[in-house]
Amino acid sequence: MFRAITIAAGLAFAAGAAFAHHGWGSYDAAKPITVAGPIQTSKFENPHATITVRGDDKVWTVTLAPTSRMSSRGATAQVIAVGKTVSAYGYPSTATPGEMRAERITIDGKTYEMR
Amino acid sequence: MTEEAPAIFIALEQSSLGETIRQSVWLYPIANVGHIVSLVLFAGAIAVMDVRLLGGLAATSPARVIVRARRYAIAAFLLMVVTGFLLFTAEASHLALNPVFQFKLALIAVGLLNIAIFEFGARRAVIDLAPGAAMPPRAKVAGLLSIGLWLVVAACGRSIAYF
Repeated sequence: MFRAITIAAGLAFAAGAAFAHHGWGSYDAAKPITVAGPIQTSKFENPHATITVRGDDKVWTVTLAPTSRMSSRGATAQVIAVGKTVSAYGYPSTATPGEMRAERITIDGKTYEMR
Repeated sequence: MTEEAPAIFIALEQSSLGETIRQSVWLYPIANVGHIVSLVLFAGAIAVMDVRLLGGLAATSPARVIVRARRYAIAAFLLMVVTGFLLFTAEASHLALNPVFQFKLALIAVGLLNIAIFEFGARRAVIDLAPGAAMPPRAKVAGLLSIGLWLVVAACGRSIAYF
């Protein structure tokens, strides 16, 4: 019985380890993209800040970092405000077309890491 | 927000509570950490009960171990419900459609059903046993189901963000 519990716990931890790096699993890291253009909407909220950006081909929803991390790196709500021009480097979602997860964003010549 | 979700979840997400959770600097992280801390408490209390049902801790009185551990399990479960509701409210429309979240809720229902079946069935056969007495098979089944179900529930919870 104890062996069964040990095995079950081991499997649970293995599953947890495989899922490390929260939230990046459903993004295609093999196909990084850069979306550049004006910010159309901006939500500075938890669990992740998001902006929509009018890129060359279409409007992208760009998922950023949690608000606390955004703030501590200087990417405040004022920095990612509507109307500013952003360049977002990141990975397209494999689940939601038109959504991407930003690795880093550049606004007004300043680059902010999201990870 | 996704329009595809049932109206009640869209309304919950767009409620002032949902707005407050998303806008607050502290509320979401506190609920997040609180959910995990209460899970740790819950898993510990459940594991003690399950190990006893499976015949471990044989020198102890089943009644004492189970009654005491259960208090912690109930308190921790309620804390998980409250913190989980806050986390859910922030993203209700997406989570309601998330297959892993749906599977997790179904497993929680099965876990609670397992507890109910134990309470109304095997509990009487267990609670008066003397220390060292052999556990009836149905108590062992309940214990094994319990530890398995709750571990998978925890794994599902951790996996929601990846689907």
